Amino acid sequence: MKALLSIAVLLVPVAAAERDTARELNEVARVATVMVDGDVCQRIVTPRALDYMFKKDPRDPWVDGDNYEVNDKAFITVKKTLIRVSRLAPFPCDVNLWMPIAGHPEKVRVVIRNVNEMSQFWPWGKLYQDMIPQMKQVLETGRRITVTEKPGWVSVLAPVHNSLGDTVALVEAVSQTQLDPHENVK
Amino acid sequence: MSLSTKARALAFALGLAAAVPLAAQSSAIQLLATPEYLRPDPFGDVVAADKVAPNKGDAGGFAGSLRLEGARGGYVSFHLVAKMPQPGPYTLSLGFDRDHGKVQADLFREWFHFTESDKKYHPDALIPVASPYRSRMPEPDNRIAGQTAQAFWVDLWIPPDTEPATYTARAVLEASGSSSALPIELKVLPAVIPNDDVMLMDHNSYGTSWLADDYPAISRKLGDRFFQSDEFFRLIHAYHRIFYEHRGLFHQLGYGHAGKVGPEFAPALEGSGRSRHIANWMLYDRHYGPLFDGSAFAGTRRGPQPIPFVYLPINPEWPASFLNWGEPGYETEFVNVVSEMERHFREKGWTSTHFELFFNHKKRYMGFPWDGDEVRFPADNRYFLEYGRLLKKALPPSTPVKFVFRADVSWDMEQQFKDLAGVVNMWIASRDILSWLPHAPARQRARGDVIWYYSGPPVVTQPASTITQFPLEGWMWGVGGFVHWLAVGAGSDPWFHFDGGGTALVYSGDRFGIAGPIPSVRLKIQRNAVQELALLASFTKRRPLDELKTEAARLYNNTTPADWWNPRPAFADQATFEWSGTALDEASKPAMSHLEHIDPAAWARVRQYVMRLALRSNREVQ
Repeated sequence: MKALLSIAVLLVPVAAAERDTARELNEVARVATVMVDGDVCQRIVTPRALDYMFKKDPRDPWVDGDNYEVNDKAFITVKKTLIRVSRLAPFPCDVNLWMPIAGHPEKVRVVIRNVNEMSQFWPWGKLYQDMIPQMKQVLETGRRITVTEKPGWVSVLAPVHNSLGDTVALVEAVSQTQLDPHENVK
Repeated sequence: MSLSTKARALAFALGLAAAVPLAAQSSAIQLLATPEYLRPDPFGDVVAADKVAPNKGDAGGFAGSLRLEGARGGYVSFHLVAKMPQPGPYTLSLGFDRDHGKVQADLFREWFHFTESDKKYHPDALIPVASPYRSRMPEPDNRIAGQTAQAFWVDLWIPPDTEPATYTARAVLEASGSSSALPIELKVLPAVIPNDDVMLMDHNSYGTSWLADDYPAISRKLGDRFFQSDEFFRLIHAYHRIFYEHRGLFHQLGYGHAGKVGPEFAPALEGSGRSRHIANWMLYDRHYGPLFDGSAFAGTRRGPQPIPFVYLPINPEWPASFLNWGEPGYETEFVNVVSEMERHFREKGWTSTHFELFFNHKKRYMGFPWDGDEVRFPADNRYFLEYGRLLKKALPPSTPVKFVFRADVSWDMEQQFKDLAGVVNMWIASRDILSWLPHAPARQRARGDVIWYYSGPPVVTQPASTITQFPLEGWMWGVGGFVHWLAVGAGSDPWFHFDGGGTALVYSGDRFGIAGPIPSVRLKIQRNAVQELALLASFTKRRPLDELKTEAARLYNNTTPADWWNPRPAFADQATFEWSGTALDEASKPAMSHLEHIDPAAWARVRQYVMRLALRSNREVQ
């Protein structure tokens, strides 16, 4: 019983810290929904790159990545917005941009990452990956979702709309309860 | 040429004096030797990759005595093989008979890695041991059922001031009440290997998080304090030292593809815009100070020297925030901080090292909208021009600090050589594409640029001599260096489930109680080739360079220097983003075909030529 109490006492501050982090990230994500321009997001990755993204060639295993290209003006515009929004948080936080892929509803891709190199979902190096259920939910409902599946990580997912009112992307406002200054320095 | 013929050629070249008849190899304990290019296996044979043709049971290359020769300022190496048909304890000793002058012997036990790809054993990691070495067969920690042979790597170091003479040594194996001796004769030539190499062999790595994984005994003990501890910096310096002692250098990139900088790779910053400045150099100076003033190399055989090249932490997010890209604040942050760095380096007297402004990011990793590494889309080159402008603005025109702008180039290399002339002045070129640009190395060097090329270490399942092709190819091409793109990633279990070592030339010594890296057979073979190449190149004072290259190529793989280049393919005139990876592979095949199957004696023949020239050169001087 004593041991259980000790564990409970230890867990309380962690849980409280996570709650505070989640609350801050929720605010960051809410602002991102307002500030990030979905039309510009849709212009970032070129149609050619999207076409190559699903090409497979056993003799040329890097054909997809070698042909990945972006419209740099659109990329920079959105990235600057993401950086600005991330600075609303009083702790190190990244706001990453994710987008669905037309014709591949079961897939999703990260489009912009940021300086702390944090994401709860991105397997390092992937151009696209299986759709994250919570992301699918955000894209379908337009509602923000907090994800704390990975121990020590908090992400708030929020929709990004274009001028037609369609949800065309989402942001991941993410932080860690304990930062690792050496992770992903590679 | 048959296996036995090649084995004889190799024995002759390496001075393996007495080949051991097969019948004499089975019944009693034996101590034998093989040339460095014939790696023993744990069952008394040579690994399959080092045989010219599969010929089970043919142990050509084992010898019962050695006659070696070597130049001063270099190493002579071989494998010792302790063969024991029965399990049990043994002692191996190695010592000089009489006066050995300044010659020193280093003994390493060879670890037999089980490689997953072919389910066989290959020796590679070298564990330093003292003589006499006492253990038992099978070697307890290597855990090989039925092991009957243990291999040892021997380095004989001949300091530059060694008296030229013939020295004799003896290795002795004792077990089961009997012994087997192997006499060694080393003739030290008057020639001295230059300390400066014609090919700088670089060993690349990324970040430092792998150090915590590779050295659990240290990192677990220190916990959160590990990355700021003296032990941590000692480990980093140990990696620099091991590559330096093997006539190479070590690079550690200190930032990620989205701009995250490891704290020990950059000074800490404060402020933004006009107020951005360096707040503290503490970790940076602990990391780099001993490397830039050379004190990290005190006590090494090559002597203390500053490292010649180092990455800067500069990337699109450091020292200027990408938030301000294209605005006055970006330029201000960049110029102010880089100016502070120049001043710090100048005041510290760190003027021997080349500080590399280098962009490693690729847009496929979603951090930035242009490729810093291996530009494929020519529009990206305008970012290089802008950073060239910023760098120029940050540096005093007469600075004694050596800042260089490095670019690792592939697809767009030919165009970048032209478009970025005078901006980028250090080029690390893709092997494939450089192979069809024979005029490029001389042209780049003529304008004062550094030009190297890159690939990766051969895996242990390839012939041991394969690694010698990189220094030789670079010298044939006229480039100044070679980069193994990753040289410290030995995989999650290199000891019992090895991936082959395509990203590793050293191993963590943690398993053996060593707080630092241990070398590999491949690294040793590379070092020996590099030192002999330095000696060969020194003969250009007396012989035309073309003559030396022609003979080296003929002896190495029966080629001419022209065979080391490829014709420029027709697709090279198309836009680079239209090229395909498969076409690129095809275009590099003609020259690569000569290097696919390097025979074990390839470098031995070149070495023999070098030693012949050294002797002749000495007579000419006399």
